[in-house]
Amino acid sequence: MSKPPSVSPLVRSIEALSGQVIADCYQCGCCTAGCPIGEAMDPPPSKAIRLLQLGRAGELLDSEGIWLCASCMVCGTRCPRGVDYALIAEACRAVVLRRPVRSGRVGPETVTDEDCEEIPQQAFMASFRKFSG
Amino acid sequence: MASYAYYPGCTLYTKARELDLSARKALAVLGAELEEMPAWVCCGAIYNTADDDFAGRIGATRNIVRASALGDTLVTLCAACYNVLKRAKARIDDPANAVERERVLNFIDEPYEREVRVVHYLDVLRRDIGWDAVKAKVAKPLAGLKLASYYGCLMVRPAAVLDFDDPEDPQVMDELVRALGAEPVRFDFKTECCGGYLVVNRKDVARESSARVLENARAWGADAVITTCPLCQYNLDRLRDRDGLPVLYFTQLLGLALGLEPDELGFDNCAVDPRPMLAEKGLL
Repeated sequence: MSKPPSVSPLVRSIEALSGQVIADCYQCGCCTAGCPIGEAMDPPPSKAIRLLQLGRAGELLDSEGIWLCASCMVCGTRCPRGVDYALIAEACRAVVLRRPVRSGRVGPETVTDEDCEEIPQQAFMASFRKFSG
Repeated sequence: MASYAYYPGCTLYTKARELDLSARKALAVLGAELEEMPAWVCCGAIYNTADDDFAGRIGATRNIVRASALGDTLVTLCAACYNVLKRAKARIDDPANAVERERVLNFIDEPYEREVRVVHYLDVLRRDIGWDAVKAKVAKPLAGLKLASYYGCLMVRPAAVLDFDDPEDPQVMDELVRALGAEPVRFDFKTECCGGYLVVNRKDVARESSARVLENARAWGADAVITTCPLCQYNLDRLRDRDGLPVLYFTQLLGLALGLEPDELGFDNCAVDPRPMLAEKGLL
């Protein structure tokens, strides 16, 4: 049976960017249970997907949760419905980062000299690619 | 001597130099060498997943195209490079992404000579060399050493694309540990994230994630944790505020077991020096 399309255009664009079908999630909570950042992430993965199911994408885009995903991919690996929240969070960040106003969270100006000396550049590349526009 | 086209990546020439050096030296003992591919560019360090983000995947794809001039296999060592290059390759191989493939390859505008298999150094050990051959070269068995093999995220997920090992309970490093005469411990956080790049702007979150990994390894009786990711090594070794468990690259202990001089293996780069522990075990 084909899936009913999401009502909200914003949710539809998040589905297109992530390649995920929001209606596939049946809210079992496996993603949130396994998320290593779940305690700090607000909303955690399953709740974030629920917001999208309810057409409340704006609340998710304004949340801190999408900026705490480490792209570790445990949620998608364990999802019994084949929904990958890491891809959904990235799509949400893309929507925010592509807004005409400056919306990035990190950049050379946010890094201390000490961290610049110490932290592997792999982390800076990854962080800037995920969290800056 | 078998020679492999090798993609070192940015971090292995600077902040994770000891991973590159110990890996090359150990492989030479095993009768193979890594030959750095010319004109490689940064893989991007993380795979961009947004469907229309072609530009975010060009760097990685360019490396695949350039490697195709050298042979059919490209060896990686950094877990992030392995993850990103393999996913970028799978992306353009998927018939569903034919439009992206054409546009990206047109943009890169260099000959894409042949199919390239992106493999990890551990693949070379287990598939090409084999554990028996590794075992036969062990000069100093790591007897009495209990090791927690930490794979993190990037070696095993997404499992369908990487097809590297079991995403929940990977075994390849544990097999290596056995071949070297050491004992792999049970370790529940083998594939739990260290916090990764969140260290850049949310060190508090990364510190908690890393601490949990170390605590679990300690609880199962490990003498040290081994990894193949520079960022995992950094987060576990440098962010800690409590546990003093050594965190090493697997190649450093491989080199030690193969009889390389400890001074060649870069142990002094670890924040928690593993040498007192290794000396106590009679391994130095």
